[in-house]
Amino acid sequence: MVRRRPALVSLLLALSLVLAACGGAPAAKTGSPQQGQQAASGGKTIRVGLVTDVGGLNDHSFNYLADQGLQRAKTELGIQGQVVESHNQTDYIPNLTNFAQQGYDLVIAVGFLMTDAVKTVAKQYPDTKFLLIDDQIEGMPNVASAMFRSEQAGYLVGALTGLIEKQHALPNLKGRDQVAVIGGMKIPPVDAYIAGFQAGVKAVSPQTKVNLVYEGKFDDPTGGREVALSQIAQGSDILFHVAGGTGTGVIKAAESQGVYAIGVDADQNYLAPQTVITSALKRVDVATFDVIKSVRDGTFQPGVHWFDLTNDGVGYAKPVAAVPQSIVRQVEQIRQQIIDGQIKVPATVSQ
Amino acid sequence: MSLGDFLGVQTWVGTISWGAPIALAALGGTFSERTGVVNIAMEGLMLISAFFSVLGAWALHNAWLGLGVGVVSAMLFALLFAWGAIRFKADQIILGMAINTLAMGLTGYLLNTIFGYGGTPVNTPQLPTVSIPLLASIPWLGPVLFRQNVLIYALFILLVLSHFLLFHTRLGLRMRAVGEHPQAADAAGINVYRIRYLGVLLSGFFSGLAGAYLSIGALNSFNVNMSNGRGYIALAAMIFGGWTPLGAFGASMLFGFASSIAFNLQGLGIPKDLVLMLPYVATIVALAGVVGRTTAPAADGVPYDPSESS
Repeated sequence: MVRRRPALVSLLLALSLVLAACGGAPAAKTGSPQQGQQAASGGKTIRVGLVTDVGGLNDHSFNYLADQGLQRAKTELGIQGQVVESHNQTDYIPNLTNFAQQGYDLVIAVGFLMTDAVKTVAKQYPDTKFLLIDDQIEGMPNVASAMFRSEQAGYLVGALTGLIEKQHALPNLKGRDQVAVIGGMKIPPVDAYIAGFQAGVKAVSPQTKVNLVYEGKFDDPTGGREVALSQIAQGSDILFHVAGGTGTGVIKAAESQGVYAIGVDADQNYLAPQTVITSALKRVDVATFDVIKSVRDGTFQPGVHWFDLTNDGVGYAKPVAAVPQSIVRQVEQIRQQIIDGQIKVPATVSQ
Repeated sequence: MSLGDFLGVQTWVGTISWGAPIALAALGGTFSERTGVVNIAMEGLMLISAFFSVLGAWALHNAWLGLGVGVVSAMLFALLFAWGAIRFKADQIILGMAINTLAMGLTGYLLNTIFGYGGTPVNTPQLPTVSIPLLASIPWLGPVLFRQNVLIYALFILLVLSHFLLFHTRLGLRMRAVGEHPQAADAAGINVYRIRYLGVLLSGFFSGLAGAYLSIGALNSFNVNMSNGRGYIALAAMIFGGWTPLGAFGASMLFGFASSIAFNLQGLGIPKDLVLMLPYVATIVALAGVVGRTTAPAADGVPYDPSESS
């Protein structure tokens, strides 16, 4: 006689699904309809659902910033917001659908990888508004997309890097005149940063070698560390990462070897204050906040919204004190030249 | 990039550090499978330990205590797995996947609840990297073998101990007997359940070390899903290694080598999508080519029921 207990397995599975769904619990606490404040102007409190990509809210960059924008909207605009994390790419459609089904006014999809999921779900729920971050969807009346000219931010930190290499301006440089970029997946929003970085270094210091490696994932910090250690051993002394959660390992490797790193999306200096000399910024928080505000004010515009240096949608974090002021001034001049249109920054990578 | 860089010291250092967490888990998997339990839950056990190691190290201000917390947490979840798989004879694959999903959800939930969205604290203690005097200054061999994180030395020691335990002790013989023919082992007076619990618990212990290596060995932080499939690769390495500790170690290091050179090959201009597949392709080729000639323990994956005759 064989006795099996499918009930035990079912129970475990159910428990794990419940826990998986609880990923966004802290945000959920403030999300219940009863607690929402009335919006200042609209009369009706709008509800906003945010779906993160697989890196999770603790990625120190992209998803984190989107949540920051949502939190700001909650306090400043009195909207209700709820967050749910995606653990797999197969979570995108269920997560987006879930918010739309519950009648949320705006559903935000954080990340290029969610483009197809947004197209599918937005078609089924024409009365719900959607915001896609980092890819373009045009011609759908209920979808807005936020695009960033990240290549401009990449160009600026690239120019800073090139000038530092050229002038041997930091104490722990190895003198090999070689730097590295470590990407996550090879997707357009990552490559935009990288293309800008390559062009920025080349513009000010053509002889500096820029190695380019993709780690292949956004959520593998241990792997990011190994890739970075290998680049450092080959002579790179400034490492720019465009790799989400994987990048925290890159920064850690640079710190352990006493070389330098450049953060991405958010100002990541706090991760290693002596190591992260600046960060290329992409104000996902600003984009998120602006579009939430437009929904509240009834001025929502579908189509593509561009964020770049002219509207402070991209930029670079204040460099650490060790970076000479002369270099920072030069980078500021370059920044102005990009805004004035004197410098055109490419958005595609050269291998 | 020159060929010197390509096969230089750093490639071998990388081989060890890519391979180590996989090898640790694979060693544990050997014990579980040798006693007859397929442990696909190693992925989840690693993730559980990775999280609780950071939590422990941060809360107790000590990386060693963190390691202890991580390993014990992985063993507790291994016990849960063993309870379902052995006592209740649940399907081991489905139960293992349930543990993996649970680990993902639980660690994500606790990360957000305890640490908030800012991630784990940057001042979390880390397990030390130790240079062994004299040996560390040997050219090539020094940096590759003797300038490593403490958990990598632990791996080398545990590798030898595991081999000895499994093939040169009475307990090892009993474990293998239970995995091959539990009815006969039972008839010979061996407590089949107890031996299987031990096998799965050992697997939890090793997966715990592997998870701790990822979070407080190589780094001092936890990220969502940071085990990133290494538990599954460990399962493959253990099979490729013919269900033996030495084989599992060798297969893990082969994977480590493939990972290590993969990132150097990108620099040589080989298409990066092909290169990133390399470690996995190597695993598939190795499994397809070699597994035909190795044999799994006969009762591997089959719940033991004394009332069934065979």
